[in-house]
Amino acid sequence: MAMWRFIGTVTLSSLLLACSASDDAGNSHAAVNDKKVFRYAMGGSPTSLDPVQSGNAYANVIVSNVFDTLYNYKYLARPPELKPGLAEAMPEVSDDGLVYTIPLKQGVLFADDPAFPGGKGREVTAADFVYSIKRHFDPATRPQGAWLWQDRIKGLDEWKAAGSDYSAEIAGLRAVDPYTVRIELTRPYPQLLYTLAMGFSAVVPAEAVETYGREFGIRPVGSGAFRLESFNTAKAVLLPNSNYRDEPFNLIEEGYDPATQAYTRVAELEGRSPPFLDRLEIDFIQEGSALWSSFTKGDEVQMASLPDEQVEFVLDSTRPVILKPEFAEKYQLATGPEAGFVYSNFNLDFPEMGYNPDPERNARNKALRCAVIRSFDWPARNDSFYMGLGQVFPGVIPPGVPEFDEAMPRDSVTRDVAYAKQLLADNGWTPDNLPTLTYGTVAGVKSRLFFEQFRAFLKDIGYPSEKVVLKRYATFGDIVRAWSRSELPFVSKGWGLDYPDAENTLQLFYGPNASPGSNDANYANPKYDALFEQAATMAPSDERTAIYRQMNQMLVDDCVAVTGLTRMRITLWHNNVIAVPDSSIVGGGFLRYVDVD
Amino acid sequence: MELLQYTLRKLIAGIPLIFGVTFISFLLMVYFGPDKTYDLLGKNPTEQQIAEIRSELGYDQPFVARYFNYVTELATLNFGRSESTGEKVSDLLARTIPVSLALVTPGFVLGNLFGVLLALFAASRRGSWVDKTIMGCSAVGMSISFLIAIIAFQLVFSSSYGLGWFPVRGWNIHSPLDYLRYVTVPTLATVFVALGYNTRFYRAVIVEELSRDHVRTAKAFGVSPAKILSVHVLKNCAIPIITRVVFSIPFIVISGSLLLETYFGIPGVGKVAFDAITTGNQPVLKAVVGLTAVLFVLAQILTDILYRVADPRVSLN
Amino acid sequence: MAAAPETIALVAAPPHQGLWSKAFHKFCRDRAGLVGLWVVVLYAIVALGVWLGLWASDWAEVTGPKWGPVSAEHWFGTNLIGQDIFARALYSTRTAFELGLVVAVLSTFVGAVLGAFAGFFSGGWIDELVLWFMGVIDSIPFYLLVAAIAFSLGDSPYAMYIAMIATFWVGTSRLVRGEVIKLKELEFVEAAHAIGLSEVAIIFRHILPNTFHILLVQATITFVAAIKSEVILSFLGIGIQDGMSWGLMIAESTIEVLAGFFNNFIAASLLMFGLVMAFNMFSDALQDALDPRSVR
Repeated sequence: MAMWRFIGTVTLSSLLLACSASDDAGNSHAAVNDKKVFRYAMGGSPTSLDPVQSGNAYANVIVSNVFDTLYNYKYLARPPELKPGLAEAMPEVSDDGLVYTIPLKQGVLFADDPAFPGGKGREVTAADFVYSIKRHFDPATRPQGAWLWQDRIKGLDEWKAAGSDYSAEIAGLRAVDPYTVRIELTRPYPQLLYTLAMGFSAVVPAEAVETYGREFGIRPVGSGAFRLESFNTAKAVLLPNSNYRDEPFNLIEEGYDPATQAYTRVAELEGRSPPFLDRLEIDFIQEGSALWSSFTKGDEVQMASLPDEQVEFVLDSTRPVILKPEFAEKYQLATGPEAGFVYSNFNLDFPEMGYNPDPERNARNKALRCAVIRSFDWPARNDSFYMGLGQVFPGVIPPGVPEFDEAMPRDSVTRDVAYAKQLLADNGWTPDNLPTLTYGTVAGVKSRLFFEQFRAFLKDIGYPSEKVVLKRYATFGDIVRAWSRSELPFVSKGWGLDYPDAENTLQLFYGPNASPGSNDANYANPKYDALFEQAATMAPSDERTAIYRQMNQMLVDDCVAVTGLTRMRITLWHNNVIAVPDSSIVGGGFLRYVDVD
Repeated sequence: MELLQYTLRKLIAGIPLIFGVTFISFLLMVYFGPDKTYDLLGKNPTEQQIAEIRSELGYDQPFVARYFNYVTELATLNFGRSESTGEKVSDLLARTIPVSLALVTPGFVLGNLFGVLLALFAASRRGSWVDKTIMGCSAVGMSISFLIAIIAFQLVFSSSYGLGWFPVRGWNIHSPLDYLRYVTVPTLATVFVALGYNTRFYRAVIVEELSRDHVRTAKAFGVSPAKILSVHVLKNCAIPIITRVVFSIPFIVISGSLLLETYFGIPGVGKVAFDAITTGNQPVLKAVVGLTAVLFVLAQILTDILYRVADPRVSLN
Repeated sequence: MAAAPETIALVAAPPHQGLWSKAFHKFCRDRAGLVGLWVVVLYAIVALGVWLGLWASDWAEVTGPKWGPVSAEHWFGTNLIGQDIFARALYSTRTAFELGLVVAVLSTFVGAVLGAFAGFFSGGWIDELVLWFMGVIDSIPFYLLVAAIAFSLGDSPYAMYIAMIATFWVGTSRLVRGEVIKLKELEFVEAAHAIGLSEVAIIFRHILPNTFHILLVQATITFVAAIKSEVILSFLGIGIQDGMSWGLMIAESTIEVLAGFFNNFIAASLLMFGLVMAFNMFSDALQDALDPRSVR
């Protein structure tokens, strides 16, 4: 019948269309066809791959491999240390710390791409770096990284105010000659070099940006170790960039520590020039169960973070982390703290629980906050959601930064129900007059459970459950808007470290960063701010660390936040993979050093 | 000729429909929809940066202007670029729609095919234990949520805790064999869930037809059951069957595939559309909604025409 | 000419008067339908008890260990943060009934009224308008529509209800419209016209009551559809906001299932399956009983 023919034609054509619309050639078996293929998986998908918009952690993974930055983190050094990437050497810094002169490597080429004349990638020059940073101050590119250099580089903000004309020069950001960059700051910025290792500062070629326009976000062209072959909502495929700079792998320079890293076999990489793979596939798998299934299959994903739900099933013990025998013989494992932490803070703009013009109420509010903080059962939270692997610490200086203080008193993270109840009673708080605590979160199964657990904690100190209310937001963007507009009295979130310096977390409570900035606690303590400004211009030193810790103690004393927990990441990989996973600050930089046999 | 006029009239009548759909979806998804500004902002935004991005996204224009822009875009089929990746929406759709089609078509076809066959089988033995079993199974199938079926099938067939014969997720098609590997488990889940509804519906239609006088006459005349079924019954059942099949096509592509795409990691249009709504990616949304409306109208017209072709008694008025 | 009151009563009597008593007897003979009905009643009692606070009011309490096994204290074990799964599943029964009843009643009501008006004035502008409206709603894929309504209402807890009602009324409406088109040709309508009843009165007093058999069946179908849709919507994050539902439990279970913890999944699936299956059986029997033409 005509109907069957119709159906047949539709099926056949869809098949053909699907075939042509699908991606990648070759299959995913590592050693078949003698091609070295590596399949990695991450828990989410990037949106845009334009470095200007790579704030998303997943985008950063790809950006760090398709593009190059002036500085990189050493592959193996823990804690993380910088080394020159596109730069030839560490910079020359003037005595007052305001002028940085950075020499660039010569002969570094962009990947071949039709955007270049003749389709051949041309040499990277200092002008390209200047162009790349300028883009962050051009509203048309919808930049996300401007905050790193705002108010810091001479002439940059004025350039933006004058209309972002790319042909205009900026006094503080110049290509002195094709291989030298000169940055002049308005005040000392000890974290500047770290920012030059972030995906935001990746170097992009103007030709490609102009040719592809907005599509540059899915057709990135850079000078990194790989080039992007295909990209959709399910995976990205990268192929080695044949123009990548030749840099033989040097174990010592990369910070090799045989005691902890010999088992990964990275020693075998010595002397060879990365990238070592013929093909890199990155899958975006959000559901832990699907991720684990894919990992254990054998011929799909080869390296991934262990999903929380699998921990009991896969590990023999969590302290120390040991695999069960049947997994130990198939997989390698590495653990490490995430560069970041999860916490909640009060929004002090709300007079019911925060700053109040009436001094007596103000004091009572503080007592209330302290009681809430002491009602929080961190071990229970850790066990339920982080498999007991998370590292709980007081204050806001997490384990990922050098200024972390192991010896800091742990009162603020120790649950004391009696003490909390006493605090409430002493300050005239009763179940009737306690204010409603609105807990905002993005929709999701886990966040709902977080809330229910939190409500149960509060119930134990006498906080009536009807007064702990959940406000759901449909998307992350929506809740960010609520935070920016100071609409929520209680904010629960995580913070990813941008660089290994506590300034990155202390700025979360710096007065001038109040909403819509990242200080959604709207903490306004002039003493704190003064200390912050003082430390902001200091290079790392014991003196500066002391100031940092002093500020940290202030936050704990003022009961501003319920902090914090750093998640432990357990990464597993198949035996035939030679790799050492990054700490997440670097976000994917390790992929160029991965080898498969 | 009459048919052509009829088609034309129907097409024109479909225009208010398209307007209605676009207006309502514009209102809901675009005007009142989620604000994409904060997705695009960096970590420490200033008020000025916020205003700049809003302006870039066009949020600061008045309602009428935005709706007018939308309609123009639809008319010229120029949907612009996705707000998140910058890819041209038409490219995005061209890439993802064939994938969704390839994903849901086998399940759809098989679900309906087996539905009709089982229904015929059941209806011809109405009242017997065969009929009761089939109807019982169909009731069970109708009571199981699609989501549950997907989780269960993935566990059983794809994961290493079950049979592990099929990939857990993905869509790397280079050969018909690959296609079979990736599409089988989603298809199984789809057929499992659809079969219940389909069988019951078709059985009802066939039973109704079987009880008609002309069928009883044919039986009385000794025509073989097979001939009765195929010649007398099916032809008259064609209308409701076709209606159902054609009506469900536009939605199968978008709704039906959403869960499958999410769970099996298949880069199709269902997930893209859903993500567009939840993140406020307006260009993509506009395109998807507009196209669905057009598809629906076309499906309606197609059904009406098929009605006419199948049954000359149906008037063209 | 004035007609005798008895005559008017006779003429004005709806044609299906004998339908209900016939249906009742037919239904009582359908064993599957009866079983379905009793099961539904059982669930309804459970839901009522939850609503009255008789049981499962501690569904949000943290009372056990993480992923505790089935025990005397926790009949289905405990979930990730130590809440009793059985209590949560029972509480979800109330949510399901609430959702099902509200959506079924309201969407059937809206569908009936709009369908009746459309059918009665078929061919006229009311009919065109309603048909157009039905077409528009049909043209937007269900999950996208629910998501859109949820977002535009700012995550109000009623968004899902509104979205469901806005979608489900269409099916009822079409059926009612079709039936009304047939009904309005019948004599009793003409008679009602003759004695001067207004059209609205005719619709509400004479026509709609004759569609009750359709409405009843449609209501049961909508009830089931609402419960089933809620599962997927909650999984997608646009379903139930406050409280607990089977959909939320299943969504929770998706992160637990491959860790080997199936209790959440089984509890929610079983209970939901039980109610839906029973309701389906009841609905089928009801449909058969009410169908004047069906031959059993």
